[in-house]
Amino acid sequence: MTMAGTRIEVAPSSRTETALALEGLWHVVVLNDPVNLMSYVVLVFRRVFGFDEATARRHMLEVHEQGRSVVWTGVREKAEAYMFTLQQWHLSAILESDEKN
Amino acid sequence: MKRIEVKLSLQVVAPLLDLIKAVVDRLQGRLAAPQHLQDLDEELRTDWRSDLLGGQNDDCRRFLALFDRNFFADGTVSFDEANAEPVLRACTAIRLQLREQELKSLSDEMIESGGVDVAQLGEPVQKAFLCYVFLATLQELIIQHLDTAILEG
Repeated sequence: MTMAGTRIEVAPSSRTETALALEGLWHVVVLNDPVNLMSYVVLVFRRVFGFDEATARRHMLEVHEQGRSVVWTGVREKAEAYMFTLQQWHLSAILESDEKN
Repeated sequence: MKRIEVKLSLQVVAPLLDLIKAVVDRLQGRLAAPQHLQDLDEELRTDWRSDLLGGQNDDCRRFLALFDRNFFADGTVSFDEANAEPVLRACTAIRLQLREQELKSLSDEMIESGGVDVAQLGEPVQKAFLCYVFLATLQELIIQHLDTAILEG
C-alpha cells in the first residue's frame, strides 16, 4: 500500500496543503451493514485490533445500534492501514479527521 | 497443523454450488462491498481497489477449493489455519453480493428477523436465500469451533 506521506507528487503549494490536511489525528470508523454477522464483526475486531472479547463486542454493538463506531484513532498512515485491513474483511470503514486536535 | 473436518449434506449443498460459482465469477471484477475511497488520491485509490480485488479473488479461490473430490465423495470439507480466514472472508463477499443482487427484493428487516417464508419465494430467490443462509452457517461454524483451535493458533 502506498503511504500517505510519500505518494504526493504535485505542485509545492498543493503539497503543503495536502500535508497539513494529513497531519493530526484520524479516526477509523466502522459503519453498519445489514449482512455481516455479529460474531463475524467481533472476530474481525479481535483479529485486526487485538481487542479482547468484551471490547470487540462493545464496538460491534455500537455499530449495530448506532450505525457506527470509532474503533481506532491515530496518525493517518496507520489509520489507512487499518481501514484497508477492515475493507479486506468486507467491513465498511472510513477515515474521519479529528479536527479538535 | 490443527484441522477440523465437517460433513455437509451433499443433497442440500451441491445444488447451491452453481449459483455460488456464478456469484464468485461475478466478483472477479468488482468489490463485494462498495468502499469509501473518495478521500484517497486517485493513484492510491486505484492501487487500493486493485489490492482489495486481488485479495477477494484469492479468498474466493480458497473457498471454492473446499468443494473438491472429498466433498463430492461424502460431503466432507476441512478447515485449518491456512484456509479458515480466507473462507470466512469469501463467505462474506458472496453473501454481500447475493444480498445486493439476487436478494434485493427482500427487506433487511425480513432477513434480520428471520421472517422469510422460504416456501413463498420464487425459485431463483429461494435458491439465493438458501445459499445466503448456508454461507452464514458455515461462517458461524468456523467462528464458533475454530476460534480458539485454529484462528488463534
